[in-house]
Amino acid sequence: MSGAELDFDAEELAMLRQLFRTEAHDALETVTARVLAGGSAKPSAEALTEMMQVTHTLKGAAGTVGLPAMVEVSHRLESALAAVGREPSPWMAATADLLVEVIDAIRGYLDHLAEPDADARLAAIRTQVDQIVRPNLRAESQPPAFVDPLPEPVLDALADGGPPPEPKPWLRVEPARIDDLMSSAGELLFDRTRIERRVQLLRTLARDLARTRQSLHDALAEDTEEAERPERPMMRGALADADAALAGQAALLSQTTAGLLEELEALRRTIGELQRGLTRIRMESARSLMTHAARTLRGLRRATGVTVELRTAGEDTEFDKAVAEHLADPITQLLRNAVAHGVEPPDVRAALGKPPAATITMRARQDGNSLVLEVSDDGRGIDTGALRTRLVATGRWNAPRAQLANDDDVLAALLDTGLSSRGEADELAGRGVGLGVVQQAIAKLGGEVKVSSIAGKGTTFTLRLPLSTTLAQAMLFKVDGQVYAIPNVHVVHLAQAGIQVGAQATTWIVGHDTLPVLRLELLLGHGAATERRPAIVLSFAGKSLVCTVDKIIGAREIIIKPLGPLLAPLTLYAGATISGSGKVQLILDPAQLVRRAYPGAPAAVLGAPDDRSSSPTMLTGRVLVVDDSRAIREAMTSMLGSEGWIVDVAEDGARALQMTRQLRYDLLITDLEMPALDGFELIARLRNDDRSKDTPIVIITSRASPEHRRRARDLGVRALVAKPITRRKLLEALAAR
Amino acid sequence: MAELRNVIIFTIGAVRYALELRWVRDVVSLGFVTSVPTAPAALGGVCNLHGAILPVLDVGVLLDGVAGLPARQGDGALVIEAEGMVCALRVDQVDHVASLHETAGEVIDATGRPLRLLDPGRLLHRALELVTAEAERPG
Repeated sequence: MSGAELDFDAEELAMLRQLFRTEAHDALETVTARVLAGGSAKPSAEALTEMMQVTHTLKGAAGTVGLPAMVEVSHRLESALAAVGREPSPWMAATADLLVEVIDAIRGYLDHLAEPDADARLAAIRTQVDQIVRPNLRAESQPPAFVDPLPEPVLDALADGGPPPEPKPWLRVEPARIDDLMSSAGELLFDRTRIERRVQLLRTLARDLARTRQSLHDALAEDTEEAERPERPMMRGALADADAALAGQAALLSQTTAGLLEELEALRRTIGELQRGLTRIRMESARSLMTHAARTLRGLRRATGVTVELRTAGEDTEFDKAVAEHLADPITQLLRNAVAHGVEPPDVRAALGKPPAATITMRARQDGNSLVLEVSDDGRGIDTGALRTRLVATGRWNAPRAQLANDDDVLAALLDTGLSSRGEADELAGRGVGLGVVQQAIAKLGGEVKVSSIAGKGTTFTLRLPLSTTLAQAMLFKVDGQVYAIPNVHVVHLAQAGIQVGAQATTWIVGHDTLPVLRLELLLGHGAATERRPAIVLSFAGKSLVCTVDKIIGAREIIIKPLGPLLAPLTLYAGATISGSGKVQLILDPAQLVRRAYPGAPAAVLGAPDDRSSSPTMLTGRVLVVDDSRAIREAMTSMLGSEGWIVDVAEDGARALQMTRQLRYDLLITDLEMPALDGFELIARLRNDDRSKDTPIVIITSRASPEHRRRARDLGVRALVAKPITRRKLLEALAAR
Repeated sequence: MAELRNVIIFTIGAVRYALELRWVRDVVSLGFVTSVPTAPAALGGVCNLHGAILPVLDVGVLLDGVAGLPARQGDGALVIEAEGMVCALRVDQVDHVASLHETAGEVIDATGRPLRLLDPGRLLHRALELVTAEAERPG
């Protein structure tokens, strides 16, 4: 409940704390009176119950006004009073005096909250309280932990919800252990996505291959029909061979891919079960949220004097604990908002024929794949007409929009953070106070907030949240004004002060290691030539690298959202998350960053400054691109096409060989590893053919070893370009003479 | 044979298009548009639509390879769903809804002018092709 600073603005918080102090003095006075009434004798059971109740109330109120230390002290005192009531009781003649001393010390603490010695006062109080429970206790000993005196839910409405559930045997596990497991399971999700992408590519490839074979087959059949021409027999033979080979390979690829898909499906199921199981461990019923609401409302009631009852429904609806924790603050805010601005004073209510005590209803339910939490009041409702006027008056909406918008849209505008600014402290502005915070918190959880209202009848806030959420720790950083995330498990070090990057700086020394530097400001943005840049050191699958960015924001808990089928081929991203203000933030895949930083990465991104001014001049003509990847063929077609080349493509060496026999090419660009006929073999055959022996050849490959380079040079290859191919690298290779 | 189509008519740049209503899930005003570095020009960015990630496409690039205005917060958009994919098409203006006869990929509007009837399946396939081509595949 330390989120109170968020729930209230400073002025309101100060006011609430003042009210709390008054209330606390009264409560503590009651305790003192009961103790003193009994002299040095142990107080009666009723007196003890009353003392515990006021202390308990104090605890709740302290939480609401954001005084966690006071919550803890009240809890301790409550526990101590409970211990006194049990047999054997630690009560001694001196305990009465000790109790009175404790109460006075707490009052002293409350009167001097802001002073530097507040902590020291607290420590002394803790020691004193512990002495009540264990009179022989020495100051340095630990107090008894977790003696919960009253059943935690002191709910107004829950009281008639039947007897509390029977206690079950529980396994106590440190939450951190579960969180670690969840984090690993979250990681598994990234891994699965990566594998799925590759399988998807394989599947496309298998389909392409089958199609290519079919067209070859058809061409062959056609060719046989008109087989009278004398120059064709050799050609036909080669085609028939290739056709047969292709048929076999296509079938094998299809089978393998199908098998892989089945296994992937099994993996997906297992991961799903694992995650659901882990989430279930962390599930808790809405009861604790309702308890939180009851406690908050009790505090508010005492602080403001407004009579308001809480009704609850759907306490057994289950929430992921991680989600529930993030809901506490928004609920506090909604209750506070309802008490302060939604509910009419008793006399007004009476005049309207409403019961004098207002009712706030909190309902939880599961609706398909969503969890729905509703907070309704039976107050005055929101005047949408006035809200329209306000929206226009403050320049947020123009008049036609305000006229055309339906009530739902108008009410949604209430959630805008900007609507209720200071200086507009009327009822309407008040109603919007803090709703921005609610909106942000819910958006961060991947949910939505809706407001509905009936004038004179009340207002309902509906929070809709995804049933299952994958939360992960991520490191957030900024490039070019946009926020990005990297899964935090892979972040090993932060260099906030920045590292020097320049024309030659491609590595950075961390400890005994020299790591490659990947300039994310160049990969993701335009990257001004700042000399020092903040850097994040990542480690993935045993490889480390340094990523320079514009600004490091810090670690946050984020919800992982899939990018969807359309964006899935963009392997650089592992997913996305949604910020509190509803903006999409992309999550980078550490595997891809490592891949880009290690051999084969484009020079423009890896260290060297991006100098586009020296773009080389080009020759153009007809080019044949040979690569077994359709994606690369398409990419090359696009790059070369925009440079004025006429582009033909071939899926492998055999096909390329046929094409070069039919057409003369000004340039041939080939991959090395391909089915049927690999790159070197293709080049060797081309060099043996008079028609193609002088054709300039460029190799694109992921195997740019010295051995490959030597072999390429021996074959008279013009350039060898390491994959991944970028436009710049390609153009440079073509310009090489 | 001309078939009757229920279409939504909208404008992008200076061009008016028609799209069958059955593909249109929603007409929205875009939230903050996050740009996606390394993505092809056809992808104007991504938006948050009710907690899901929504790609925003540029119809001009997809149809004719000519980029339109960049997608910005507050721009109008049609949310369409086809071939198991959901995306938004940025539009400048949504004109109206009408029942028009289709002939060879075009519909004739009330003023007698022909409008291109968009095929969302083909648009999305083209988008997927462009994204796949742009995605560098190391190894």
